Amino acid sequence: MIEAVSRTLVPRVFAVALLAGILFCGRFALAGAASLQEMLDGALVPSSAPALLGPITSAGRIGWECKPERAAAAKDAQHSELPANPSTP
Amino acid sequence: MRVLLLAALLVELMATSGPAQTYAPSTPLPRTTSVPALRAFANAREVEERFRIGLDAETRGDWKGAVAEFDRIVVLNPPEPKGSTAQYDLALAYANLQRNDDAARALRAAIARDPEFLAAMANLIAVDLARGDLPEARRIADRYVTLAPDSARALYSRGIVALQAGDATTAREDFGKLLHANPSYAVAHYDLALAEERLGRFDAAQRELNTALALAPAYARARFALGVVLLRQGEHAAARSAFARATADAAGDPALKNIAAAMRDSIKVP
Repeated sequence: MIEAVSRTLVPRVFAVALLAGILFCGRFALAGAASLQEMLDGALVPSSAPALLGPITSAGRIGWECKPERAAAAKDAQHSELPANPSTP
Repeated sequence: MRVLLLAALLVELMATSGPAQTYAPSTPLPRTTSVPALRAFANAREVEERFRIGLDAETRGDWKGAVAEFDRIVVLNPPEPKGSTAQYDLALAYANLQRNDDAARALRAAIARDPEFLAAMANLIAVDLARGDLPEARRIADRYVTLAPDSARALYSRGIVALQAGDATTAREDFGKLLHANPSYAVAHYDLALAEERLGRFDAAQRELNTALALAPAYARARFALGVVLLRQGEHAAARSAFARATADAAGDPALKNIAAAMRDSIKVP
């Protein structure tokens, strides 16, 4: 009788342990996948905001001499005081 | 003979004598006994002097000194364009002291006095991004683009605000327009790629990133983004290679270097 119980109990215990192990590993696998996805989502960050334009004299913004206002209106990215291309020395 | 000599002398005199010298009229001095008029003259003089001292302070990086000068000009309330300009310069000093809320307030005042002050709008957007005030940054960026639709800085600024706020469609439009006039601007190709990636247009994102990298081969952030896009497309080997290259190129950016290395190592290629 005892032998019969132990014969059926051992595989059951083993099966439960195996299932628990699978669930345990699966949980980590899911967590790993989620963190990878989060890493991907958070990794692509936009470029930095442009630096502040410089001071303006008491003559004000009107006129060709006002560099900050010219930079603010320029069509050309090179004259707009935007972040430089990374390879640019 | 004497007549000839006299004639020659007269001709010589006429040739050497220039027109009568003229003198500029003397600068009119304020001649008044009116107290308000005298006060106005004194204020105008003080404003000019404080502008000179404040700008010198900003050139030296003495931002506290600059705040004191421009703050006083604001109190004196000079007419335009000096009033809005003083607010603008005051904001610049505040921003450099990391007092971004004060900087934003001064820039709002500058724009209220001069509603087409583009440099003030450009700086307010940058300050708002630093403060994390995306709604105001977007309002000002919309106004900036309306006033200067071809301005590279207006398009770039609104594109960045839109990307940060999750509006990939506006970002795509703005960076696309910016690149139409500036096709060799690698940074805008990168940001356009981000907008395309968020819209699920991975082929377009990959194309923009390849263009950015052709223009700037050591652009580590673009290389990393290319790895992400390739990974989303299931191209694991190519993605791993891109992350490996990004790890090497990101020497000056430890955070990017670490995440690129982690991504590279997380991809198992047979």
